[in-house]
Amino acid sequence: MRVNFVLSEVATGLRRNLTMTVAMILTTAISLGLMGTGLLIAGMISDMKEIYYDKVQVSIFLADDVTDEQRTVIEQELAASPEVKSYIYESKDEAYQRFQQQFSQQPELVQNTPPDALPESFRIELVNPERYPVIAQEFPDGQNGVDQVRDEGDFLDRLFSLLNGARNATIAVAVVQALAALLLISNTIQLAAFNRRNETNIMRLVGASRWYTQLPFILEAALAGLIGALLAVGGLVLTKVLFVDKTLAGPIKAGIIPPVDWSAIVSISPVIAAAGVGLAAVAAYVTLRLYVRL
Amino acid sequence: MIELQHVTKLYPASSRPALDDVSTEIDKGEFVFLIGSSGSGKSTFLRLLLKEDDPTRGTVRVNGKTLNTMSRWQVPKLRRTIGCVFQDFRLLRNRTAAQNVAFALEVINKPQRTIKRVVPEVLEMVGLEGKAGRLPSELSGGEQQRVAIARAFVNRPLLLLADEPTGNLDPETSEGIMLLLERINRTGTTVVMATHDYHIVDSMRRRVIELNGGVLTRDQSRGVYGVGR
Repeated sequence: MRVNFVLSEVATGLRRNLTMTVAMILTTAISLGLMGTGLLIAGMISDMKEIYYDKVQVSIFLADDVTDEQRTVIEQELAASPEVKSYIYESKDEAYQRFQQQFSQQPELVQNTPPDALPESFRIELVNPERYPVIAQEFPDGQNGVDQVRDEGDFLDRLFSLLNGARNATIAVAVVQALAALLLISNTIQLAAFNRRNETNIMRLVGASRWYTQLPFILEAALAGLIGALLAVGGLVLTKVLFVDKTLAGPIKAGIIPPVDWSAIVSISPVIAAAGVGLAAVAAYVTLRLYVRL
Repeated sequence: MIELQHVTKLYPASSRPALDDVSTEIDKGEFVFLIGSSGSGKSTFLRLLLKEDDPTRGTVRVNGKTLNTMSRWQVPKLRRTIGCVFQDFRLLRNRTAAQNVAFALEVINKPQRTIKRVVPEVLEMVGLEGKAGRLPSELSGGEQQRVAIARAFVNRPLLLLADEPTGNLDPETSEGIMLLLERINRTGTTVVMATHDYHIVDSMRRRVIELNGGVLTRDQSRGVYGVGR
């Protein structure tokens, strides 16, 4: 195969349809960027699950007028319960400190919250997280100094279903965008083939192999896909540097949200690149088979 | 060399067949005129030989191969043994005469060394020595057709198909082109030429196959174009 010939055909093709090429690259980039975002969110969700589910499964918030005696009884029952794997006690002060840390990016909120507004609590890890109702029964709300027993798992489930929703929405938009990108690639290839119909007609008549005739078009699409993928990765890097690392710095430091690691971006970049190149090349090949006589 | 057996070709758009039960044989080294009015099936005949189209019924054999059963990936190999010349030359306008000829070799992966050697040879043979560097726009119609013939012949095909190669040329220029095709025929290449030009057919007295509305109406060795022309 004459590499020079094929490459110069690719370059000519991309230049000749510059506006279509740009549109094709941008659509591909947006689609792949959203896909990457979806993957990052998915990674984040699993990181968060580790952070949260491991720590706390049930919280017992104590009433404001809880007596020392009541508190000791609760602690003894927890220590004796076979359901409880471990527990920690969090005083009003500690709760307030944690609150300050979590919302360090929102000073107004911290200022407007009096230090004693947050209840003291026992934070419990269960042997089996599903056994929450047993604890709830053992410590009925509003009795013996207990204000409320809360299944953090339930709360986390809702949080994660929200995040899963965000991930699914992102991926859904990415899929729609990918469809647009595929149609655009198909159109661009048809246009490119039309522009070069004299060359391809002659190639067909003198007996150039199908690969020889098709390869420039497929490479053209694949190259556009690759450029789109590079732009998408660049977009993810910018999102990390400018948005995640800056705006979300507080919650990340407080351990509420896991950070987006460089390693995560590095590990999804090849996936994005492969998806970009692969989809574009396949779209081009199918287009040539279906619509273009070569 | 070429064998058509009861070949019928129907195009979906038309109710009348483009070729209707045509059977004929053309031997190696023959020079054959394919005549008939527009729409008589000449172009369809040539397209079937190139496997640009498949017959609706009947079998087409070229170079001992049955085209009906040939798979798609074998078609390029078939076409490398067939040269094609057209009325409208079909040259690449942004390439010189030499580059146009070389293109046909490059895309079938001939080594650069061979290309450098054979392109000047074939250009000289068609009478274009010294014009290798000209673009098609800088050449006359006859010269452009010579480039096209050089491109068709450079690969030494067994069969040369010419679809009205003189259709756009004046009589004198046409004569030059015919001399060239005769010369190519003398090298052993089978030539099948579709034409309207009765002067040429009458003066050369070669085998004539006449199609009329897709039906083969005459097959005559040393024929003339026909009465009433």
